[in-house]
Order: sequence, then structure tokens, then C-alpha cells
Amino acid sequence: MHGEYKTPGGKLVRVDLEVVDGRLHRVQVSGDFFLEPPEALDVIAGALEGVPADASEEELARRIAEALARLGDDVHLLGFSPDAVARAARRAVS
Amino acid sequence: MNGRERWRSYRWQLITGEPLDPPLQMALDEVLTRRVGTGARAPTLRFWEWSAPAVVIGRFQSLRNEVDLEEAARHGITVVRRITGGGAMLTEPGRVITYSIYAPPELVAGMSFQESYAFLDAWVVEALRSLGIDAWYQPINDITSAQGKIGGAAQARRYGAVLHHTTMAYDIDPEKVPRVIRIGREKLSDKGIPSAARRVAPLRQQTNLPRETIQEHLIRTFADRHGLEEGSLHPDEIEEARELARTKFSSWEWTAILP
Repeated sequence: MHGEYKTPGGKLVRVDLEVVDGRLHRVQVSGDFFLEPPEALDVIAGALEGVPADASEEELARRIAEALARLGDDVHLLGFSPDAVARAARRAVS
Repeated sequence: MNGRERWRSYRWQLITGEPLDPPLQMALDEVLTRRVGTGARAPTLRFWEWSAPAVVIGRFQSLRNEVDLEEAARHGITVVRRITGGGAMLTEPGRVITYSIYAPPELVAGMSFQESYAFLDAWVVEALRSLGIDAWYQPINDITSAQGKIGGAAQARRYGAVLHHTTMAYDIDPEKVPRVIRIGREKLSDKGIPSAARRVAPLRQQTNLPRETIQEHLIRTFADRHGLEEGSLHPDEIEEARELARTKFSSWEWTAILP
């Protein structure tokens, strides 16, 4: 399943995932955004892994933001946000 | 310290030279960023020459979502992934102008990432304007003009340094791009930006000047503003880049890191 969201004035986020037993699985987040450090992308996708497929956009965004916060201050997202990833993920599911 | 003084606190080295293949270009960017990060190399401006056509995708793009691999293969186009974020682009020898800036982080200290894009390309906007092009910086990372988009930049903050590279269209074949690069409908849905701003307006069409003349003018503008000394690639840098091109940037593992 595939969902996309483009932040106005920013970049495109694409989310590919599967739903297995009502949960998000094999989540891939990609796009033409900028992110430092690059390894933070695995943390963003990982934050959605196993989450109930009916979780709200706000819930998905909160999980991503919390996972990124655990990485510390040196994480920079440019052209997208946890909200943008959450919206693309919701669109993939629905 | 103002912007110009920041640039002037380094002795910038210029690298130009032989055409290199796409994986080697990717590798050289990583190697030179590392060298500037450790202080083994002075801050450097490098102009690229491409020996073969390539689709260059961003670090965070999904290979299959962005590129039609069969079409690329049919046209003899190599697909490589760079270490910076941003979008896919088609580069062909003689049809683009590409440069990289390898800088210490202090050059952009205190700026937001977004501000640093405009700052690091300000000399290019000045150079284009002095060629009579009505050019400006379109945040986050585009060089654009009244007639359309000219180019885009991408950055990585890694290995103790800043890598900022930019590709500008000189003479792009507009038919070819949509054949190999997939452009989603969502991408075109940004109603905040007029469609004209996304239209590509290559430099040849805007100036009628040879590519070399424009590139020389860019180099002269950088030299006048920031100072620039003739430099060269060291044999050990090329050797390291060849190894990295072989082990990383030619590998499916890296190119398809996001399948």
C-alpha cells in the first residue's frame, strides 16, 4: 500500500507499507526531503512498525516525534515533519 | 562577521578537470567532504564534468518509486544514489552545470539549514544576474528565474564538514526526463507555487552562451567574491574515490538501500 503527502512549500513524503493482522508492517518512508543524520530515517519508519492500522494521524505523528526526540538534539528535518509522514501513512492505509 | 567575511576566512581551492563516471562522482563527493572535515584538504569548490548520462536520486528516495529502471537501461543511463537528500535528476554530459562546495561547518554556523542553502549559492545567483538572467533563490533549495527553474541544490552535514552541491540545467532534453523519472501527481499538487515556477528554463535557452563560458563566468564570480586558488585532486583522493565507487556507489546494496 502506498500513500503520499507533499508539505506546502516543502517536499514529498512517500510511505509504502503492508497491513498484517491489523498492524502496520514493512514500513518504508522515502521522499525528496532532507534529513540529518540519514540514519534517522530508520527511526522514523521504525516508529510506525507494529502500530495499529486504525491509529489516528495525530497518534502516528506523536510516535514519530517521540522516537526522533530520543535521538537527541542533532536531528534535523528539512522540507517535511512527523505530521507529513503521518499523513502519508494514513493515506497509504485508507 | 558578515557573509563575505565568512567566505574570505578560507583559502578556497578550485578543482576542475576530466569527465568522470557517475559512481565516481558520487564517491568523490564523499571523499572530499571527509578530507575537508579532517582538515586534510582546504575548503574546495569543484566543478564536475560528466562522462556518461545518469539519473541521480536523493539519499532518501525510493529507487523504484522514482526511476523507471527499464527505460533508464534502454537509454544507457546509469542510476546512482548520492549521499545528500533532495530529488531525482537527469544529468547528461554537456547538458548540465554541476558543482560541489566542501566547507567547514563554521562557514554556515548560526544559520538555519534553509538559510544556508541560499547563502552557499548566493554567488551563483549574482553570476546569473550579471549574465542578464532575472534569477533568484527559491527556498528551500532551488535556483529559479522569471522564465523558470534553473537548478537545485542539496546538502549533507557529515564527516565534520558541509557538502553542498548544485546542478543547473544547461540544455536539458525535456522529453527524456519524464520517461525515466517518475513524477507523482501529489508532487504537482502544491497549489502555493505557480506552475511556471516549476517549468525548467535551461541556461542555454536563456543566454545563448556556450556552457564553458557560463562555467568560467561562475568561477570568476566566486573568485572575485570569495577568493579562489587553482587546485587539483590528489592521487590518493582519486584512488580512495575509485575504491568507494566500486564498493559502495556502484553496488545494488547502496543504490537500492530504499528499494
